[in-house]
Amino acid sequence: MSTLIMIDQAPYGTWSGREALDMAFSLAAFDQAASLLFTGAGVNWLKKGQEAGGIGQKSVDKNLAAAPIFGIEAILADRAACRTYGLDENSLIGGVTQVDADAALLAAYDHTAFAG
Amino acid sequence: MTAIQTLHILNKSPDHPRATRCLEMVAEEDCLLLIGGGVLLLATDNLPGISRVFALTQDLDARGLANLAGNVSAVDYAEMVSLSVQAQRVISW
Amino acid sequence: MAETASESFTLVITGAPYSSQAPQTALGFAQAAVDAGHRIDRVFLYGDGVHLASALSAPPSDETHWPEAWSQFLTEHSIPGVACIASALRRGLVNETEQKRYELPASNLRAPFEIAGLGEWVEGRIKSTRTLYFHAGD
Repeated sequence: MSTLIMIDQAPYGTWSGREALDMAFSLAAFDQAASLLFTGAGVNWLKKGQEAGGIGQKSVDKNLAAAPIFGIEAILADRAACRTYGLDENSLIGGVTQVDADAALLAAYDHTAFAG
Repeated sequence: MTAIQTLHILNKSPDHPRATRCLEMVAEEDCLLLIGGGVLLLATDNLPGISRVFALTQDLDARGLANLAGNVSAVDYAEMVSLSVQAQRVISW
Repeated sequence: MAETASESFTLVITGAPYSSQAPQTALGFAQAAVDAGHRIDRVFLYGDGVHLASALSAPPSDETHWPEAWSQFLTEHSIPGVACIASALRRGLVNETEQKRYELPASNLRAPFEIAGLGEWVEGRIKSTRTLYFHAGD
């Protein structure tokens, strides 16, 4: 029973991405198959070098890089969105798989959800 | 009705980026249910080409779109439940 | 239309009352699900949805009182209502236990809502035949 958690909002300006990560990590903590799909402005969660201390938040790139250790099966990023935001293998954190976020991708999961 | 692969529930109005993403994902074997601001899609010319598009009556009425209900199947909450039960998967966009 | 006899639902509400339609749509759905003979295993409030569990909401008398409407529905049908602890504490929705734990001046969680972790959502995802989400529209 696999779940795809989708994140399409940019980091730090809203909390739904953080809440989506919590959902994915909770699934993994309970041994449930979970993957993350970043699309739209959400791909900016995956950029290297985030330093959010100055706005009073924790940077998430380190959490995300450790996601496989916590049991998250895959970190997926929509190819077209990465292109839009100028993200490539050099600017993305490690462990990200670029995909075409289409109906076939979503169909591979029993359950797809946003946090908000 | 033939089996519903995925019920896509869309409450985002047409301007919202997630509305575009949702509409890119709907296929003929799916259903699209417009609720909340999603019913405004009926006032544009951008309905997806699939045959099963539904809109929640109460949300159509609220937004003065009752006259457009003929373009899709207007449903109530009971039918929304029924669709969610029939579909293999439900995605709330 | 043919359908299975009875399904079980976990409903997740992430939009706040008076900021979104999420609580209203969810209640319409929940009422119809119960009327159709289905079971609602739990209602899980996440993100801004936790505001639905406030005991201090005081809307004008000519507006629907969403926290009260939900409270009545959950009580009438003995459906558990859970506010996610991480979302609730950040937003200042606390029960007496959390009030004491954090030495806060008051508690404000409306019965019958309880506070619990995301494990409740995961359990719903596993055990309920359907999990539906009611998000804000923006």
